[in-house]
Amino acid sequence: MILGWLIVILIAGGLIAWPLARLHPLLSRLIALSAVTLDLALALVLATRDFGPGSTAGGGWREELDWSWIPQFGIHFHLGMDGLSFLLVLLTLFLGVVAVVVSWTEIATAVGFYHFNLLLILAGILGVLLSLDLFLFYFSWELMLVPMYFLISVWGRERRTHAAVKFFLFTQLSGLLMLIALLALYFAHHQATGIYTFEYQDLLGTPLDPHRAMWIMLGFLAAFAVKLPAFPFHTWLPDACAEASAASNLVLASLMAATAAYAMIRFLLPLFPEAVHTISPLMIVLAVIGILYSAILAFSQTNLMRLVAYASIGHLGFVLLGIFAGNSLALRGTVMTVIAHGVSIGALFLVAGAVEKRVQSREIDTMGGLWDTIPCLSGVGLFFALAALGLPGLGDFIGEFLILIGTYQAHIAAAAVAALGVLAATFYALRFVQYAFQGTNIHSWHLPDLAAHEGFVLGVLIAVLLWLGLYPQPVLQTLAQAASHAPALWR
Amino acid sequence: MVPISYYLVLSAILFSIGVGAFLIKRNIITVFMSIELMLNAVNLTFVAFAHQWRHVSGQIFVFFVMVVAAAEAAVGLAIIIAIFRTRNTLNVDQVDLMKL
Amino acid sequence: MNMQLARILPEVILTITGVIIMLAEPLLQKNSSRKPLGWFAVLGTLAALFASMWQLHLPDGTAYFGTVQTDAYSVFFHVLIAGIVLATLLVSLDSIDGSAESVGEFFALICFGAVGMMLMTSAVELLLVFIGLEISSISTYIMACFRRKSAKGPESAIKYFLLGSFATAFFLYGIALIFGATGTTAIAAIGRILTVGQTPLLAVVGLAMILIGIGFKVSAAPFQVWTPDVYEGAPSPVVGLMSTAPKAAAFAVLLRILYVAFPLLHYHWQPLVWWMAVLSMCVGNLGALRQQNVKRMLAYSSIANAGYLLAAFTALSQEGVAAASFYAVTYAAMNVGIFAVVSHAGGFGDRLTLVQDYRGLAYRSPLLGGAMAFFLISLIGIPFTGGFFGKFYVFAAALHSGMVWLTIIGLINSGIACYYYLRLLAAVYSKPVHTDLLDGIPRPTMPLLLALVLTVAATLILGIVPGQVLSLARAGANTLVPYVTTAMK
Repeated sequence: MILGWLIVILIAGGLIAWPLARLHPLLSRLIALSAVTLDLALALVLATRDFGPGSTAGGGWREELDWSWIPQFGIHFHLGMDGLSFLLVLLTLFLGVVAVVVSWTEIATAVGFYHFNLLLILAGILGVLLSLDLFLFYFSWELMLVPMYFLISVWGRERRTHAAVKFFLFTQLSGLLMLIALLALYFAHHQATGIYTFEYQDLLGTPLDPHRAMWIMLGFLAAFAVKLPAFPFHTWLPDACAEASAASNLVLASLMAATAAYAMIRFLLPLFPEAVHTISPLMIVLAVIGILYSAILAFSQTNLMRLVAYASIGHLGFVLLGIFAGNSLALRGTVMTVIAHGVSIGALFLVAGAVEKRVQSREIDTMGGLWDTIPCLSGVGLFFALAALGLPGLGDFIGEFLILIGTYQAHIAAAAVAALGVLAATFYALRFVQYAFQGTNIHSWHLPDLAAHEGFVLGVLIAVLLWLGLYPQPVLQTLAQAASHAPALWR
Repeated sequence: MVPISYYLVLSAILFSIGVGAFLIKRNIITVFMSIELMLNAVNLTFVAFAHQWRHVSGQIFVFFVMVVAAAEAAVGLAIIIAIFRTRNTLNVDQVDLMKL
Repeated sequence: MNMQLARILPEVILTITGVIIMLAEPLLQKNSSRKPLGWFAVLGTLAALFASMWQLHLPDGTAYFGTVQTDAYSVFFHVLIAGIVLATLLVSLDSIDGSAESVGEFFALICFGAVGMMLMTSAVELLLVFIGLEISSISTYIMACFRRKSAKGPESAIKYFLLGSFATAFFLYGIALIFGATGTTAIAAIGRILTVGQTPLLAVVGLAMILIGIGFKVSAAPFQVWTPDVYEGAPSPVVGLMSTAPKAAAFAVLLRILYVAFPLLHYHWQPLVWWMAVLSMCVGNLGALRQQNVKRMLAYSSIANAGYLLAAFTALSQEGVAAASFYAVTYAAMNVGIFAVVSHAGGFGDRLTLVQDYRGLAYRSPLLGGAMAFFLISLIGIPFTGGFFGKFYVFAAALHSGMVWLTIIGLINSGIACYYYLRLLAAVYSKPVHTDLLDGIPRPTMPLLLALVLTVAATLILGIVPGQVLSLARAGANTLVPYVTTAMK
């Protein structure tokens, strides 16, 4: 039942926060903050439950909720949580709180509608992470779309409409391909068993001939690859990030990518093992190209947000690599990377947003010499840049290291080239620091340094990254118990 | 006795003439008349078939078609008058404020 | 109560309502408001709605020499039409100038049109189908011409009238040929006669003619040319009505004719309908992409939606019929809703015509902007709205019957459609606000709010908890099912 509450609280919070902004914007912010915080607390309550392998009764889900929804089609409102989804739910809600706090000063117009959209996206993400019914999964997947469109198109910069429409079209078209695939799977299952169901557990064992399985898998993959985004479907992300506000970028790049990676691990790999195996060489090549290509492009960006977006695409290349490497080591590294990427890239967006607020621009050319006037913010920026380039001791390093080891076992060449990508990341990360913060203060900036709430948020993010980097065992242990119903994957 | 096919062919020809006139003619009244021609071709078909099947329902149908056609004519002519008042023309090509 | 009368009770109620309004109108003072007549029409429609629901308790059966039949199918569409008419009346009450001359007639015509549409859905005899079709068409011709002083009004009406009558002639010729082939015009009897022996060529040609006729009425490609012009010129509340109710009725009739009278000829009509569906989707969506006028854009969108609905026809199964019925409801809810917003924002005389005129609507009036955004989202087909579930159901039915390409083409089309809906959505939420135009928008009145609540609630229910409506659609489809199964044998 807690799972239901997680989603209901977010939606209700959004619905209440919307009209309250008419009374006072602060009310709306407070409601949104308390809804997400309450959710985070509830999720942490789940952490205290027994996660041991002994508690795998009932299909191995720690927490489950199953209501009939549209019985005519065998559609259930079925939520379930295991270690994998638990980690990502925590990530989502944690970054959700961060997003609300950051919006406190950044968003000044249409505050109520903003928080409604933000909370609706979070609810959609939770729906994706928790649903065990593929219809519900698709439903939640699409639910994120419209609020995100609004976040970009209403609170974005000059070319926001273009960016928002591009984001929408990419996601919607790929989503429709997934819908066809989903229906095909549904009918294939009916053909084999005579039962109409969207239930994840039932569909797992659907017998499919290889040809059909491949097509259906490609339909799902299209949606996931666009949302991740994987090269060559990534072009919408830099455009969107260049226009949207920092908090939206946090949601867009960190959390949506997490849902896509999760969906690949949860649905793509177990549902179509053979087809995934067949296509994995291609995907690994794409992943490696994506890592290198994004590093090169990141290096040549002049827009700070765009630079971070390409950095994000580079990390997500590693995620893709890990998913298709085909062993559990890489898979664990993938989840680790998703979490660490969420925190570090999210934080970089926030740093970029904080810089933008001070110098009123996103162009790197207009910056430079900021270290003299805002040393704390610059220092924090350096820290997250180092995290993003994979400095040992920080979360990203663990994840990418595991992925590289896992890939090395499977495809030595891919691992070698991808390792080059880590090197390339150094260049753009250092460029970010060098051009934005260092150099002479030619513009003679005199700017306020980190405000208390900014400092607090970034400080917490630093702590999390350090924790992930120095003591990752809790995460890895939680993962080890994850998904006991799909053991082959994690072995 | 005239075979039934003669009536059918005649009505098909009339119907086709109606369709052709509808597509070719430029005066709204003429276009409207071509629709009436089509309806009457249909009536002829109905009567012919009613005779063939020795069934009265075809002829009843004809009465209904005539009544409805009369109602349609009343409305249609009213609309045509409204057109003429605003445009002072009944040429289809000149009633083209909105491109087709 | 007289059993025969009970079977046409909703129609009787609406007819009486309309007649009373016509009689009362001249008795009112010359410059007094005609709006009470509109409210009376609302009451009559509500009564008809409940009467239709009450008909569910009647045993299935026919009346008046086997011309009307009440069953779950007819009741489903009766309720749908009554709902659309109800919303349209409320929208008209909001936007029409109550003291203008002959406004009472307008309300009466809506009632009479509804009678025709309802008769179409319960008719099981082609004669009555024809009469119902004409009653509804003639009423809509007049309503389309209601702004007769404006230049576009009569032009729109004449185009609608000429092409509508042209289509009627085809429809009639089709009936005549089928009568010639089978010797009857009762739909079920035609089906029985055609199951024995060979299929006469006359029947096939007749069926094709009927398809052409109905194709015009539902504005399916390649018979869609009239739609954009007519929608652009007609008053917005009327467009909201005629893009949904007569189409729903025509689709209901077509389903009945195809599935009950011609199940065995499906290898003739299924490919035709397949092509009509594909053409409509493509022509509608591609045509809409380059439209600047909002009503023209929605006209092309309605062509595309006719295509989605026809896609369900090809499924040749109970699911297909149910999906088509369900889609008719969802399309009606969202389209009447969006035209409610357009009617209020633009008024009866269309002050706002272009997409860019709507710039900043959401900032000028959050309610109207929000409602418009909601309906656009539903038209795009995002989950939690009826538009999504309707499309989902239609394409699920098509895919289940092995129509893989149709499904793919359809879903790609619905992806293309995002683009033009988003253009309007972006305008509604963009700054700077187009104040000089938007300042003319009056405050929303009570009838408009009622209409919006009705349509928004319907769209949400259809999207989130569609179970009830689904069951009703399936119950309706079940009445046609015996014929479907014989066809599949």
